[in-house]
This record gives sequence, C-alpha cells and structure tokens, in this order.
Amino acid sequence: MIRRPWRLAAEVTALLVAVVVAFPLYWMALSAFKPAGEVQSTEPRPWTLSPTLDSFRRVFEQQDLGRYFLNSLLVAGTVVLASALIAFLAATAVTRFRFRFRTTLLIMFLVAQMVPIEALTIPMFFLMRDAGLLNTLGSLVLPHLAFSLPFAIWMLRGFVRAVPESLEEQAYLDGASRTRFLWQILFPLVFPGLTAVSVFSFISTWNDFLFAKSFIISATENSTLPMALLVFFDTDTPDWGGVMAASTVMTIPVLVFFVLVQRRLVSGLGGAVKD
Amino acid sequence: MARTTKVTDVRGAGWTPWLYLAPALVVLAGLLVYPIYQLGLISFLEYTQAQVSGGEPTTFRGLDNYRELLADEQFWSVLGATVVFAAACVLCTLAVGCALAVLLTRIRAVPRTLLMLASLGAWATPAITGSTVWVFLFDADFGPANKLLGLEDYSWTYGRYSAFALVLFAVVWCSFPFVMVTMYAGIRAIPSEVLEAASLDGASTWRIWRSVMAPMLRPILAVVTIQSIIWDFKVFTQIYVMTGGGGIAGQNLVLNVYAYQKAFASSQYSLGSAIGVVMLLILLAVTLVYLRIIRRKGEEL
Amino acid sequence: MKLSTRLTTTLSALLLAGLTATATGCAPSTSDNRGDGTDRKTGTLRVWLFQEVNNKPKAAIVDKAVKAFTARHEGVKVDVRYIPVESRAERMKAAFNDPASAPDLVEYGNTDTAGYVRDGGLADVTEEFDAWDEAKDTDGTARASVTVDGKVYGAPLFVGVRALYYRTDVFDDLGLKPPRTLKEVADTARRIRAERPDLYGLAVGGAYTYGAMPFVWAHGGDIATERDGKFRAAVDSPASRAGITAYTDLFGKDNCPASRCARMGGNDTVEAFAAGKAGMAIAGDFSRQAVEAGGVKGKYAVVPLPGVRSGEIAPAFAGGNNLGVLRSTSHRTLAVELMRELAGKQTQRELFEAMGFLPTFDDVREEVAADEPFVEPFVRTLQAGARFVPATPAWGQIDAGQVLPTMFQEIASGRKDVDTASADAAHRMNDTFTKTAS
Repeated sequence: MIRRPWRLAAEVTALLVAVVVAFPLYWMALSAFKPAGEVQSTEPRPWTLSPTLDSFRRVFEQQDLGRYFLNSLLVAGTVVLASALIAFLAATAVTRFRFRFRTTLLIMFLVAQMVPIEALTIPMFFLMRDAGLLNTLGSLVLPHLAFSLPFAIWMLRGFVRAVPESLEEQAYLDGASRTRFLWQILFPLVFPGLTAVSVFSFISTWNDFLFAKSFIISATENSTLPMALLVFFDTDTPDWGGVMAASTVMTIPVLVFFVLVQRRLVSGLGGAVKD
Repeated sequence: MARTTKVTDVRGAGWTPWLYLAPALVVLAGLLVYPIYQLGLISFLEYTQAQVSGGEPTTFRGLDNYRELLADEQFWSVLGATVVFAAACVLCTLAVGCALAVLLTRIRAVPRTLLMLASLGAWATPAITGSTVWVFLFDADFGPANKLLGLEDYSWTYGRYSAFALVLFAVVWCSFPFVMVTMYAGIRAIPSEVLEAASLDGASTWRIWRSVMAPMLRPILAVVTIQSIIWDFKVFTQIYVMTGGGGIAGQNLVLNVYAYQKAFASSQYSLGSAIGVVMLLILLAVTLVYLRIIRRKGEEL
Repeated sequence: MKLSTRLTTTLSALLLAGLTATATGCAPSTSDNRGDGTDRKTGTLRVWLFQEVNNKPKAAIVDKAVKAFTARHEGVKVDVRYIPVESRAERMKAAFNDPASAPDLVEYGNTDTAGYVRDGGLADVTEEFDAWDEAKDTDGTARASVTVDGKVYGAPLFVGVRALYYRTDVFDDLGLKPPRTLKEVADTARRIRAERPDLYGLAVGGAYTYGAMPFVWAHGGDIATERDGKFRAAVDSPASRAGITAYTDLFGKDNCPASRCARMGGNDTVEAFAAGKAGMAIAGDFSRQAVEAGGVKGKYAVVPLPGVRSGEIAPAFAGGNNLGVLRSTSHRTLAVELMRELAGKQTQRELFEAMGFLPTFDDVREEVAADEPFVEPFVRTLQAGARFVPATPAWGQIDAGQVLPTMFQEIASGRKDVDTASADAAHRMNDTFTKTAS
C-alpha cells in the first residue's frame, strides 16, 4: 500500500530518531567507562580507547551498596506485586459492576493522580511516625503503593473491560464460582495489562529518593540505592565519571525489567486503550 | 429476566464490588485521602518547623496563607512559567509521540524494533539520571552537544529560555515513549478492514486519518493527554536537578519546585501546602475543561 | 449526573469537610520533643556527625575520644553515625519531628544554629558550657556562633575561614605580586585574564555568598544590623552597595564571564581553581585537600583577602561546625559530657592534624599555627576579626530563600542594577525579620 521510496525515507527517519534517542544513554555508559582525564576533556570524543572501571569502583566502594540495592529491589518488588493485585480487584469492581458512587470513585482515582507528591511528604511523615513505621522499609512501600494505585486502577479498567462478558456468562453457566472466574479466567486474561501497569509502579518506586531521604532517618541499614548514589549527584561535586557510573548502575535494573516485559508492555498498552 | 446481557447486574452486585474495592479503598483512604486532608488543613494554619516540633503553638490563619501567596509577585511569575512550560511540554510530547507512532506503523520490523528499544531505554531511565545526563551533554565545557551544534562556550543554563528549552528536551525525551507506544498500540488495534474499505472508497491518506482513524483514536488520545498534563504540570526532578533548584536567581522555578523550597528549605509548610492545594485545583480545572471538550454524547468513564 | 457537576460536588464536599474539621479544632500532628525529662546515666548515646569526603581519619579520632569516654562511664554505649551533608536538612527535621529516631548529640553547620533553636530542636547548655574549664579559651566569634539571645546551644567544633588562593607560577610568569587592596585584586584578576584568556582572573560565583560578603564588609557594609533585638537589612546601604558593586564588577568577559560564573557556587570556584582554570580564588582552609587533589599542587600560595586600604584584611565569614545536644535527649548529662570530649582541646588538636579543621580555642589555634605555616593567613584573617551571619532565626529562612545569591546573580547577569537588586533583597529580608519577630 505504501510506496517504496516513502517507506525507505520513513525507515531512515526512524533510525535517525533512534540514534538521537539512544544517544544520551550511550553517552552515559561511555562516560562511565572513560578514564577521568577523558570525561572532563574539552575535546569530547564519542569513543574511548582506554576503557576503565575506575568510576564504577568508586561507586561500588560505597559502604553497604549491595544491601541498599537489595532494599530497593525489595521495596519496588513489593509495591509492584501489591499494587497489581489490589488494582486488579478494584478495576474489576469498577468495570464489571454497576453500583452507586461508581463514577464518583472513578473521578477520585483520577483526582488522586493530580496530587503533587512532594507536597505530601510532611503529612506522610507524621502518618508514618504515628504508625511506628519510620526507619523501616514499610515507610517506603506504603506511600508508593498509595501513589501507584490510582494510575494502575485507571489503566487496568480497559483490560478488564476488554474481556467479553459472554465469557463470564459462559463461566457461570459452567458452574464456576465468582472467585474461580476472577482468578482462573479473568486474571490470566488481564495479565498483560498488569505487566504494563507494573512498569509504572516499578519506575516511580525505584527512582524515589525524596521519601528515602525523609523517612529513613536513623536506620542507615534500611537506606535504598538512590541514597547511596545521591552522594555522586551532589551538584557541587564535579566527578562526572562517578556520576555517570552511578547513573548507569541505577538505570540498568530498570532497563532489564523493561526488556523482560517489553512485548507484554506494547500489547498491554494496546489493551488498556481498547474500547 | 429482562436483561441477559448484563450478567453482573443480574447476579446482583450487592456487596461484591465493595469487597473487591476494599483493599484499594483502605490503602487510599489511609495513605492518600488522609494526608491530602492534612495538606488542606495545614494550608489554613501557621505551620512552620517551630510549630511542628512543638516550639510554638499552632495557630489558625484562615485564608491568610492564600492571601500571602496571591500577593506574592514571585508566585504569579512562577505560576505563569509553570503553565506555559507544562503546555509546551505536553504539546511537544504529544506531537513527537504521535508522529513517531504513525511512523512506526509505516516501517518494517527491524527499524521498528530499534526505535522501540531506544524509546523504551529513554523511558526506563530514572528522572534523576536522565536529567544529569542531559545537563552533561549540554555542558559548556565538556559536553558533546555544543561541539556538534557548533556552539562553542554557549551556556544553556544561563538564559531563562535556553534553560527551559534544555529541560523541555529532557522531559520530552523521557515522556514521549509512553505516548508513542500507547498510540502505536491504538493504531494497530484499528481493524484493517475498516482502513481497507476506506481506501477502496478512494479516500486520501489525510482523509482516512481525519475521518476514520482520528475518531477511533480519540479516547486513547484523551488518556495520554490527560496523563501528560498531570505529569508535566508536576514536573520536579528535571527542573530541580538540571537548573540547580530553580536556575539563576530563581528564573526557572516551577510551582512544584517552588512549593518544595517553601516547605523544605524555608520550613514554611503552610505556604508550601497552600501552593500544593493551588496546583491541585489548577490541574482539576484543566482536566475538567478538557474532559468537557472531548466528551462525546453518552460516553461514560 | 453530568461529569462536571459530579466533579464539582465531590470537590465542594471535600472542601467543606476540610473546613468543618478545621473549625472543630482537629489539628495536624505536632511533636513534643521536650523529652521525657529523664536523664539516664546508662544506655546508648546516639551521635550524628557529618560524613567528610575522606572520612577515615575523622572516624579514627572520634573512635578514640569515644573510647576514652566509655571507659569512664560504665554501661554506656555510643553509636556514631556519619550522615551525608546534603541530606542534613531532611534528617534534622525528621529528628526534631520524631524524637524516637533522633540522636542525642549532633554536628551542625554554625549558620543553622538560630534556625534549629527556633525549631525547638537544640538544648540550652549555657550553664554546662560556662562551667566547662576549657570554654574560657573559646574565641569570641566561635562562641557567637553557638549563641542565640544570649544562650549557648552547643560547643564549637571547628572554624572555617576563607582567604585568597593564588597561582604562584602564573604570578611569577606575569611578574605579579599578591594584591594588597581589593582594587588590586580586581586589577590583578583582569591582568591575568588579559594575558591568559583561558583562565578566570579571580574565580567568582553568583551563588557564592561567603565569597562575596568580605567585599561588602570591607567596604563597611553589612547583611543586617541589630538594634534593641530587632534586625534590619543593611544590604541596601551605600557602603554595602559599594561592596556589592566591587564584587559583581568581577563578572564579565574581562575576568569571569557571567554566562559561566553567575551560577557558580563556592565549590565551583574552588574546583575551577583546583583544575587550573583560575588565577585566584577565595577558598577556605578546609578547601586545601580539594586544591591539592587537583592539578595545581605545589603551584599556589595563600594570603588573607585584603581590605579596601593597603594593610587591611577584609573581614571574612566565620564558618564552621558545632556540636549540640538535642532537646529531646533522655541522656542529657552524658550527652553534654560527650560533647565536651568531642569538642575539647585534645580532640580539636587531633582533628586539626588529621583533617585540617581549625581549632576554636585561641590557645590551641596559636599553638597549631606555629607548626603549620599553611594556616597562618587564615589565622591572621580570624585575628583581624571575622564576621558572622545575623544571629536570628530569620536568617535560616533568608538563607534558604536564597535572597543573597539571587541578588548577586541578578546583578551579575545584568537583570537588575545594584540599587534595585539590593533594595529588593533588603525588602525581602525585612519582611522575614518582621514575620519571625512577631
């Protein structure tokens, strides 16, 4: 249908865009491997002939880095799992049932996404203190769960709606209980959508340093990865090699997660918006 | 039975939906609604660190915080900058995202996968690292961007507009993939028979886009637009990191960073909260207007 | 119901709920950190100290002092944690807000003193401080930096003071001599820039308040003046304006281009000097390590920053850190004693040897200066009279609101002239003074 020269032009454009989009990431990784003299050189070159692990060594010399890494994974993992499950149930409720206050609830879920998180740190702090959760990983899991949920529910509605009602009817005719239908039929069908939604919860939780900075006060053993790397992001430190190595270390887990869910993500987002 | 199509209705919703909603509602009520309520409350009080740590009693100020805020010249200029900047970010993100989504449908698998992977990489990059890398790319001394563009010694963060432009690049870079992937998925979901029928009728590409695809994509566009507005209006990390907390003499402040500086740096929690409330109200208003514009007859949430 | 109507209803309901709740007096959380009044003699003392770039020598000295302390007190353990300086604001706030996770003893920057006191975080230790025999040797400026409204809130740990670093090789090549007046500083800076266009003459920063203030003080100006306990901004006085002009004139293609230097802070200027990109810089005794680590090791010297007239020394800002006991402590006596141990003469002497921190005791300082020629210009600067920020809680807010950096940046970048910018800054400062006084 599309004429050849046009397609070729489109493909060249796509490749060029891909290069531009990937360039910052390439430069980040490259600078992390460059020796100190080359990173802060006034003649920047897009390659290096003498790659070194020095910058990474500085990053990994940070005390307890492995522990912080695990903490981060634990927090992000818990938030992803919990928000997926809770959002699945909630999305089912608001799409497959009609009841009073349904629209009001939906609007609330939308409004909840508009709250500037940064402004909520103080009330959140007192809440965590009164619940005795300060200094624990729970004080990071719970707020992120709350912030991930509204968007997750909002996005998941489309997936749940896309499952034909005839399927549900059939299930009940076959004698399935509501619970059985929910977990054995609906859940697997909605799974790609859950993956897509998890991406958002994972990123926002993984990247957080505001809560980690404010809620993990005296128990340094419960710090998270961004806290350990924050040292390198201090604007006064001109250690660009260290900054880039730290950035690389922080980005890789998210990238891995993305590559793992990539296919599902694309098909998943398609489902989210199907009417 | 009158309506057999609505199985769920027939089975009598009763308490079941509330049961399903219970975990979500408990979490949100405790961890979101309550803090938001506190936020609103604080915005009516005199509440600085001294009150928080019990050094001085908390007093009720009514609307004084808001009055103080509205009388503050800087607030208005920051508000203006925020609205314009967010609008620019939303427009650019949507334009780039949609254009690339269409592009994706016109090309073969290999370039498509490459572009997709690059975009996912940008998406996956944490905001703090992304911002840092962009600053570094455009560094006046060590960055390759100036060399490529032939701008020796040009300092991007010095001028107000060039600093905002730099932040805009970084914001668009990390947020267009969401729009692109979603729109791409949406276009792919349009049944090919519909498009074929249209082209058999002799409709031009533009016409097919306008009268067939656009209406079908409108709900998706609505979703990504609302999300972009919400995210870009609240942009924080990029400004904070790239302009060093608001730029030279605060020229690059946006509301969220301004609120953070009021609340944290100066410990004026009540003013910070008032800014938060104002932001929330503006976002609500914008979304409301937008929803009204795109709402089709009978469309439901 | 229409979508918009629903939204509005929901909203107004929420707002209404908020307002009624306020009216019925449901206040947000506060915390009472006056402590439970107990003063336990056993248990664990928690200490927060700042994490230095190279923390090992500091930790070793602290460990030694702590060991001596625990040897004297049976059943007492000391838990020392090193916190990154850049997260101190959040942590200190958290500590004030949650006494359960708060330490008993903290290190804090002396410009934060008044703010922490107003926040109700620090304990008044006037009696204990005066009863301490070593305290009589504490120098006046250091004592002022732990004092608010006549009460003492801690013990000075070290002072930091800035002086003029210059490149000996560049000066030799160009036949320059160390400047003797501020005007000579500017002239020398322009000479260097003219002869060596790849160098900044004097590295200045728009956000480098403590590098700029000596110019203002030297011209007879000040940040603010106190009268009957009330502060008034003085940055718009003619003398202050002369000083501001002298500093901001240094931003320009002939010394340090505004497009680069307007956004720089103190560390940026030090870094530029250390990287060999500046002929001179205003840097602290504590910047020595950073400078030595750069490319100019062995090619620099330090003199006091001169004043307006030859022979004068421009008053420097007396920075530094203090140790303070938190008001929420349940081990007050022990915490005060540990504070004396860690901020005492012996520890300060060792900290100077290992870290280069200038002692706060006159006698100890003179003693160490005799052995270490590097600190001589800094000690002379201190003796000539160092200055401190206004000792009022309002200062914390003014500082955090970046009033002065904004003023310098506005002038340096040509957005406002000196008169307008200083008048605006004075206005903002006076606003804060009045508000915090009420």
